[in-house]
Amino acid sequence: MRNAGGDKPKRMLVAENIYCYTNQYYMMSNTYRKYRYSLILLRELVITEFKLRYQGSVLGYLWSLLKPLFLFAILYYVFVFFLKIGEGIPHWPVSMLLGIVLWNFFAEITNNGLSAIVGRGDVIRKINFPKYVIILASSVSALINLLLNFVVIAVFMVLNGVDLSWSALLTPLYIIELLAFGVGLAFILSTLYVKFRDTNYIWEIVMQALFYGSAVIYPIAMVVDKSSDLASLLLLNPIAQSIQDVRHVLISDTNPTLFTLTQSPLLSLIPIGLVIVTLAVGAWYFKRRSPYFAEDV
Amino acid sequence: MSKKPNIAIRVSNVSKDFLLPHEKTTSIKSGIVQAFKKKDKGIDIQHALRDISFEIKDGEFFGILGRNGSGKSTLLKILAEIYQPTSGSVEVNGKLVPFIELGVGFNPELTGRENVYLNGALLGFSKKEIDARYEDIVDFAELRDFMDQKLKNYSSGMQVRLAFSVATRAEADILLVDEVLAVGDVDFQRKCFNYFKSLKVQGKTVVFVSHDMKAVRDYCDRAILIEESKIVFEGTAEKVADEYLKQFN
Repeated sequence: MRNAGGDKPKRMLVAENIYCYTNQYYMMSNTYRKYRYSLILLRELVITEFKLRYQGSVLGYLWSLLKPLFLFAILYYVFVFFLKIGEGIPHWPVSMLLGIVLWNFFAEITNNGLSAIVGRGDVIRKINFPKYVIILASSVSALINLLLNFVVIAVFMVLNGVDLSWSALLTPLYIIELLAFGVGLAFILSTLYVKFRDTNYIWEIVMQALFYGSAVIYPIAMVVDKSSDLASLLLLNPIAQSIQDVRHVLISDTNPTLFTLTQSPLLSLIPIGLVIVTLAVGAWYFKRRSPYFAEDV
Repeated sequence: MSKKPNIAIRVSNVSKDFLLPHEKTTSIKSGIVQAFKKKDKGIDIQHALRDISFEIKDGEFFGILGRNGSGKSTLLKILAEIYQPTSGSVEVNGKLVPFIELGVGFNPELTGRENVYLNGALLGFSKKEIDARYEDIVDFAELRDFMDQKLKNYSSGMQVRLAFSVATRAEADILLVDEVLAVGDVDFQRKCFNYFKSLKVQGKTVVFVSHDMKAVRDYCDRAILIEESKIVFEGTAEKVADEYLKQFN
């Protein structure tokens, strides 16, 4: 709902140097008012994070493209060039880059989300605002980063002669799934971190395990060769599943996915169920604890 | 502006307890260790506020007085919904903006301009709304030549001027003010005085926490005196200020 008077408020002088503006506040509905504040904050926090991220660096935002590229170069030399991993897998180097970029996206959401509430402690102690906006802001920043990274992936796909099929249009769905999983975990981790500062050490270890368990830098086909069941088990993890599904729809449909391995629609729904449960539990826990952040942080 | 109810803030039987561990449990290890130590449960309950009740009418200048550690700031934070009361309830009618501290969210690495937008967003202003007020804010702060410099290069006086300038634009029905006006030079104090006069003209409700009895007598209509977490006196600003000063005699 917008005030019919237009966006520019009227100005009145009420005392020396003090102006008062016509109040549009009462023209708005309650829900709009509530979400309006959240949206204003979200926007401003994302902009701030964007500006602060590469403050004082010469190359600035270019680093968010250069970092995965250099990581890719290193991993490529170690795993593809020397260890000959991924031979016979169509477009494996691009697939690996895609995996790294998606993994970094997930890592950024959870790692930044974990410390986000504690990091904003000074503001939380001084003003009341919807705290979930902090988590969403760091997730949106990660999403912007991901979109920039996809420019690099697109270039590599063209260089590698990847044939795009219509299935590529499904990519955003899997990214949303990964985002939802990350946000759900960020809600839980950030709340735990307020009370228990061990959380970040534990999460670092879990992330290491997840990284190697999610078939980011090796093709899942290697696991399938050993045991198809083990590969399916690994793919029950939403990170591995969504990365593998994006490889399937974007790079080559020879990439095995949970569905192609198990042929079971029911089993294929397990990772999605996990995402929904994580997000629901995270949102519930965060909502329950957030009124006490100001005291605990 | 639409019609507003008569009572701006109603506080009913509010108590606030803080659970204070002897050593704050911030790691799982110490949490587990403490759970096993039967002798030392390690938690003190601090009663910051006990059974506080009062009402503030629309358009009233309401003072909250008390010595350091009496619970004033906790009460203010409960009014601002930063803290949850342990028991009791708070009813607020109208849009409330807290100034527990000026310049909430100010970041030294951002420019003055960027900080205005960030601080403004925390006060509920959209970018468009700040755009419309930006010139006023800069003029009022008298910082036109510095807006594109990083805040870390500002003197503390300049930072306060900028923060106050944004704060004066906040469109609230109820303002919570916690001694923010204790800073600044004579010129700045005069601006604050003007601002307070303007709030009266506009019929805003102001909750004012201060140690400055002159300010309380000048501005406040009514006040409460808090001592050891309880309200010990309620009445006109004059009387409560007298009562407050009696404590020190």
